Amino acid sequence: METAAINWHSFFFLLFALVACTFAVAMLLSSNIVRMAFYLVISLGAVSGLFFLAGADFVGALQLMIYVGGTVVVLIFGVMLTARAPFLRMRTGVAQWALAAIVGGCLLAVLLQAALSVDEWAPPSMVGENPPVSNTYTAAPLGLGVLGVRVDQLDEEDATLRNGMSGYLLPFEIVSIHLLVVLIGAAYLARTKRRPKEPTGDRQETVEPMISSGK
Amino acid sequence: MVLQPVDPALVEFDVLTDEMLVNMGPQHPSTHGVLRLVLRTDGEIVSEVRPHVGYLHRCAEKIGENVSPRQWIPYTDRMDYLAGMNMNLGWALTVEKLLGQDVSEKASTIRVLMAELGRIASHLVAAGTYGLDLGSFTPFMYCFREREKILDLYEWVCGARLTYSYITVGGVMADLPPGWLEKCEQFLDEFEPVIAELHAVLTNNAIFIRRCAGIGVLTAAMALDYGCTGPVLRASAVDWDLRRDGESRYTDLYKDYQYDVIAPTAEGRYPHGENYPPVPAEAVVGDSWHRFFVRMLEVVQSMRILRQAIARYRLLSGPVGEPVKLLQKLPVGEAYLETEAPKGQMGFMVIGNGTAIPWRARARSSCYCHLSVLPELCRGSMVADVPAVVGSLDIVLGEVDR
Amino acid sequence: MAEYLASYFDSQWHWVAYALVGLVQAGLLLALILTGAAVFIWMERKIAGRIQDRLGPSRVGGRFGWLQSLADGIKLIAKEDIVPAAADGLLFRIAPYISFMAAFSVFLAIPLADGWVALRMNVAVFFILAVAGLEVLGVVLAGYASGSKWSLFGAMREAAQVVSYEVPLGLCVVVPVMVVGSMDLVEIGRAQSGWFWQWLIFHDPFTFITFWVFFTCALASVNRLPFDMPEAESELVAGFMTEYSGFRWSVFFMAEYTSMFAVSCLAAILFFGGWNGPIPLATMIGLTPDNGALTEWLGNLLGMMNLIAKGFFGVTVMIWTRWSLPRLRIDQVLTTCLKYCIPLAAAMFLGAMLWLYAFPGGVVSRFVQTSPVGGTPTPVAVVDGKGGV
Repeated sequence: METAAINWHSFFFLLFALVACTFAVAMLLSSNIVRMAFYLVISLGAVSGLFFLAGADFVGALQLMIYVGGTVVVLIFGVMLTARAPFLRMRTGVAQWALAAIVGGCLLAVLLQAALSVDEWAPPSMVGENPPVSNTYTAAPLGLGVLGVRVDQLDEEDATLRNGMSGYLLPFEIVSIHLLVVLIGAAYLARTKRRPKEPTGDRQETVEPMISSGK
Repeated sequence: MVLQPVDPALVEFDVLTDEMLVNMGPQHPSTHGVLRLVLRTDGEIVSEVRPHVGYLHRCAEKIGENVSPRQWIPYTDRMDYLAGMNMNLGWALTVEKLLGQDVSEKASTIRVLMAELGRIASHLVAAGTYGLDLGSFTPFMYCFREREKILDLYEWVCGARLTYSYITVGGVMADLPPGWLEKCEQFLDEFEPVIAELHAVLTNNAIFIRRCAGIGVLTAAMALDYGCTGPVLRASAVDWDLRRDGESRYTDLYKDYQYDVIAPTAEGRYPHGENYPPVPAEAVVGDSWHRFFVRMLEVVQSMRILRQAIARYRLLSGPVGEPVKLLQKLPVGEAYLETEAPKGQMGFMVIGNGTAIPWRARARSSCYCHLSVLPELCRGSMVADVPAVVGSLDIVLGEVDR
Repeated sequence: MAEYLASYFDSQWHWVAYALVGLVQAGLLLALILTGAAVFIWMERKIAGRIQDRLGPSRVGGRFGWLQSLADGIKLIAKEDIVPAAADGLLFRIAPYISFMAAFSVFLAIPLADGWVALRMNVAVFFILAVAGLEVLGVVLAGYASGSKWSLFGAMREAAQVVSYEVPLGLCVVVPVMVVGSMDLVEIGRAQSGWFWQWLIFHDPFTFITFWVFFTCALASVNRLPFDMPEAESELVAGFMTEYSGFRWSVFFMAEYTSMFAVSCLAAILFFGGWNGPIPLATMIGLTPDNGALTEWLGNLLGMMNLIAKGFFGVTVMIWTRWSLPRLRIDQVLTTCLKYCIPLAAAMFLGAMLWLYAFPGGVVSRFVQTSPVGGTPTPVAVVDGKGGV
């Protein structure tokens, strides 16, 4: 080899990718549902590491907060609250394995083909130099875009195009209302339903000060 | 705030959570001894509490059939070990009732001194450990610091800090040493500001009130049905104190002393309550907060009695009297006497058969009855309320199991 | 530092330089945290003792028990490694480290002085919130994997509590971010440079109240009394930590003190000026970047000591509260969050926003011509896609 240099970016990329893939496969192969949830956590955490490596701090933090912090905690909660014996040891039949392998394999093939055909994503030649890291965009343009001001397109030459970019305010509002509806629906569905049984006898609730005086 | 389901018989059937059988104890930081509580909970709500006792049973009553009454005094020490003097007093009075024996006035005054100091000591432990159960570590230390002074007084008088065997049949073992009364007065003077501190840290603390007020409400009817006595009964607005309302052999001890019996009215107001800390709005008569408050106020009354007893002792002269013979023959007959121990009414019974060894020695424990009302109080409450209720009932397992 | 070190190597071996520097920086940060944890444990025992009218450790290492933490650490490492039979082995063993990692990762984004930060991100505040919420994962796994109902109870309570309090915590944190206009903690610190009235807590009454709400939520999210139901000794023995002993328990313990310190440092930066002292001593005596690299370094060192002192003070207040107050029941904890903290935080957010609208340059500048506080953004101009607002 020409140089003994270790490109740390590549090293960490490979590390995170390996962790993500390994734990995803481990999640598939495990039969204990709580362990499955745990492996999912690690896998998604590795994905967020990949985001950080790519310079997308905001998305990486979002991944941690929403996927790892939120989704998986809810998953674990649900699993722990409702885990019963038949689910603790899940056995997947051979037919299900075969079907999953076929579907997953097709999807993998399609994704790989699509990814490898993009010229800009081909690995650059490394001659002892680190590959260029993309510009890190701050969160401010994103936030302003959501509010309706597309500041990342301020230097668009075409006047007509510039006027037509009104930002993401409408989709933001739609999604917010949608989430509100979902929350209300979930709260309604999860309300406590009561079915009365026959009462098991009366209990005295009256307060009668009975003092037997004298002894 | 107490979470009560509308009717505990209603079945909630949508989320398939398991009902858990949770075991609290016998080794547990807040069961006040070796008590095993089996809780049936659904999530946080307790539907049933079943206490299992007997871990501290030492066959005291059976031993009472093999030793003479004076020899049984040390066994009474070990029942409510936090108020040994009061246990000694109960048994001594019972046997004296059977024998028809009277004690000298000096011995009676000393007995009142010891009993009231024991009441303060026991209530200090109750208050301190109650704070500890609820997470407040500091008042525990303050209470025990003050209790150390009481134990020092006890040690000076009889040589022991916890198991005294001092009050015995026929009087007391020995007279008070010179200087003891001054030391006692010094303790009382030092103790007054500490009570104010404890009120600030516990009684009027907003978080403490939130944890206790409205929790474990014991109605007067239920209290009387289950045989609850002492501060537990008084906090449910039943004005009953054996020092005033009991048998003459016991009430004669407290004759001519000025003190108040602490019991709230049914509306939650305390008579003579102008100088007391305010009762919070959330507190319900008969809840844990009132039981705690009654104990705190009883301590002040005990201090009053102590000062009067000290003054009275100073006017007395003469010997303190001798206890009866170690193997005094008991007449044929039985005697039962209940006294107002700090935790409730402690009853002792002795059946004599003409020999020095009783035919039967029986101790009626107040904490046993309080423990029996625990399942009623905890039904429908949350798991964290169980130690709050147990602490407010002030149970000591030595007395429950004997 | 990496380039400096790399210049000593041939171009082939640059990667060694980078690796070494990475290890050194990680090691320094870890050393700061762990030493801090040891000191905090000693401080907790001493303060607890004094509040309870006793002395605390006073034998190991002199009259004040300086080496008590070290002795405890040695004991914990040497203890027998017990894994309960009903426990899920892998999850039981891994859970403490997850908690510790989450607590420790918060320090990646906390600047100790101007520019002295392990990972300079312009979404630092968001990153801290995201990572701090990961600690609950370790707790939940610990509770479940212990195989005991009591531990499960504690873990459930903890998860409910931490997850609920993330909401008002986020709302409170947004208020200083809004005042300064950036999520970058270095920017927030810089905006408070000068005298102590430049600190964000004195910016307007809303930020003042926000700090207290923040502190309450921070207490809840690190599970300290009065919110320590999950570890309630008198009910659950030790909650989710019941089955942990020895080294694993000490890892949980360190995680707790680390997050206490992290949250205190965050409060210091967001509300109390960060590395800026109450009086601008560094600028007064000339320790500024203008005068050269060494003075800049010294000025930053002074700033770091400032920040650590403020963090220590925050931890001391947390310790003080723990030993003075009883504990809230779990439903009362959640009631406090939902009925008190969230509305209050939302109201403060609204109030701070209106205040900024009414007094965009700060109150003083409306009436006196001085330079405005911080960089409050006006909605349209001064925005570029790259370097921040």
